[in-house]
Amino acid sequence: MATNWIFQGRCWKFGDNIPTDALTPTHVMFKSPQEMAAFVLETLNPEFPKQVRPGDILVAGRNFGCSSGRALATKALKATGIGAVVAEQFSRTFYRNCLEIGLPLLEATGVHALVNDGDEVRVDIKAATLENLTTGKRLQGAPPSQFLLGMLQAGGLIPLLKSGSFPGSATR
Amino acid sequence: MNMVEKILARKSGQKSVAPGDVVLTDIDLMLMHDLSANFVMKVFENEMEGASIADPSKLVFAFDHNFAPATRDAAEALAAVRRFAAKHNVKNLFDSGCGSIHHVVMEAGLVTPGMIVIGCDSHTPIYGALGAFSTGVGNNSMAALGFTQNKGWFKVPETVKIHFHGTPMTAVQPRDISQFLVGKLGEDGAIYKALEYAGPYIESLDVNDRALFPLQAIDVGGKCGFVNPDDKTLRHVRALFGNKPGTPQFELFQNDADCRYAEVVDIDVSRIEPQVACPPTVGNVHPIDVAVGTPINVAEAGGSTGGRLSDIRTLARCFANRRVHPGVRLQVVPASRDIYLAALKEGLFETLHVAGANIFPPSAGSNQAFNMGALAEDEVMISTQARNFPGRNGHPKARHFLASALTVAASALTGKITDPRTLR
Repeated sequence: MATNWIFQGRCWKFGDNIPTDALTPTHVMFKSPQEMAAFVLETLNPEFPKQVRPGDILVAGRNFGCSSGRALATKALKATGIGAVVAEQFSRTFYRNCLEIGLPLLEATGVHALVNDGDEVRVDIKAATLENLTTGKRLQGAPPSQFLLGMLQAGGLIPLLKSGSFPGSATR
Repeated sequence: MNMVEKILARKSGQKSVAPGDVVLTDIDLMLMHDLSANFVMKVFENEMEGASIADPSKLVFAFDHNFAPATRDAAEALAAVRRFAAKHNVKNLFDSGCGSIHHVVMEAGLVTPGMIVIGCDSHTPIYGALGAFSTGVGNNSMAALGFTQNKGWFKVPETVKIHFHGTPMTAVQPRDISQFLVGKLGEDGAIYKALEYAGPYIESLDVNDRALFPLQAIDVGGKCGFVNPDDKTLRHVRALFGNKPGTPQFELFQNDADCRYAEVVDIDVSRIEPQVACPPTVGNVHPIDVAVGTPINVAEAGGSTGGRLSDIRTLARCFANRRVHPGVRLQVVPASRDIYLAALKEGLFETLHVAGANIFPPSAGSNQAFNMGALAEDEVMISTQARNFPGRNGHPKARHFLASALTVAASALTGKITDPRTLR
């Protein structure tokens, strides 16, 4: 994703405690991320996998991506073309997987009430801000640490390792 | 520092660490079940070109979702992992029928106190019951850092202490208490936190029952869970090597007396009734009353939070000279081959078979309905499994309740969700 930290698009809004089972159900598990993208969150909003466009923003409530820690869930979500994921709070395995595969994400308390499904929103990952362009409301989230931003900037853990800039990877 | 902080400091080569620090540590053991082994293997082969596995003896593959693959896709996935293990000299491959991954690993004596264990399975925190730091990581962490360097990156978590005291009521099992905690804290109640389970009640439990608590740490969002290791922990670990020469050397890391907590939660277990997690989530936990009378189609003792010998004994006691309610399929899934053998020798399976139950091979059972346990649209299951999210067991509208083995048994007897205190 190089240095593009700003995403603007349609907001797709989901609720609290959305499990990875809803992102990648068992029956799609051996498909490629591109194939799985057609099923992501379809049981919660059948329009989402059909109509999501590159750069759109997913906004969720608390504990997004709970249940299994499968990285497939983040890979399939990334394959839908979604630009960034914003939530009140993420499940820790989902949070870690997003960073490791290079899917930009932002935690921002109060975001769920700030947007409606279909609003036009702009997210700045580095500044940790979300702006609802439909309503003009704006919110400041929690900026990620330099270490985690670096992983995202490299495009994930593996590109970061290959670049030789993973902290401490050369020693110890 | 507490146990978790001491282990993270030691394994990252530092004198001390504090919550919020990001550390790169050595890893002692890396666990994958059949599904995650396949995913990690693909990342390793496709994205880490030319890399080699630093120490194959630290890798463990346990095929627990498939006890006998039912589809060509599943058969190919297992075959690919077997080929990968042979090629890279991974000796710890427990093939289909071995049981549920964490029970297999615990029984095999692969985890000793003081270790760092990572797993591509969100219930990996279980080894906190053995004095180890263990947590779930993603496929990329495992393939890129774990496989090639024996390393992992972690943010040092803040710790929440849960102090349990009191004596439980009759018919209340450890699963009721651990499930109550999930409901009390909420599914997002301890995100990124370490949970320490302490107090007289936890001290009174054997290690297998203590393990239920860190096993469910992820279900309140926790990074890891642990019991400050004590004499019971030591006796349990030593017993695992009882008949083998050379118990491995290990170091016990224990809490300092002045370690700090982000929060301390006090729970009087004597006030806790039998609990049930209702659909649609693991955190939707209530006293059994709210679900009593709900007709069921399937009852299961199995999965990482069930299928232990104690669970199968509970079932067999309930079904001595009694039959499973007509129209209910009672599924019994031992969590390991040793448990299977012990249950056979004790005659538990004969009792359950005569009662009308179906005995399944050691495995993860209906977890994710991969090899068994899919429900039709209007069906209802009650089980000792760890998860009940919609779509995880067949039709997204099917309903799955989670409870203790005793509540599962009582419900299979009557055909509807039943308060185990009413059993005669």
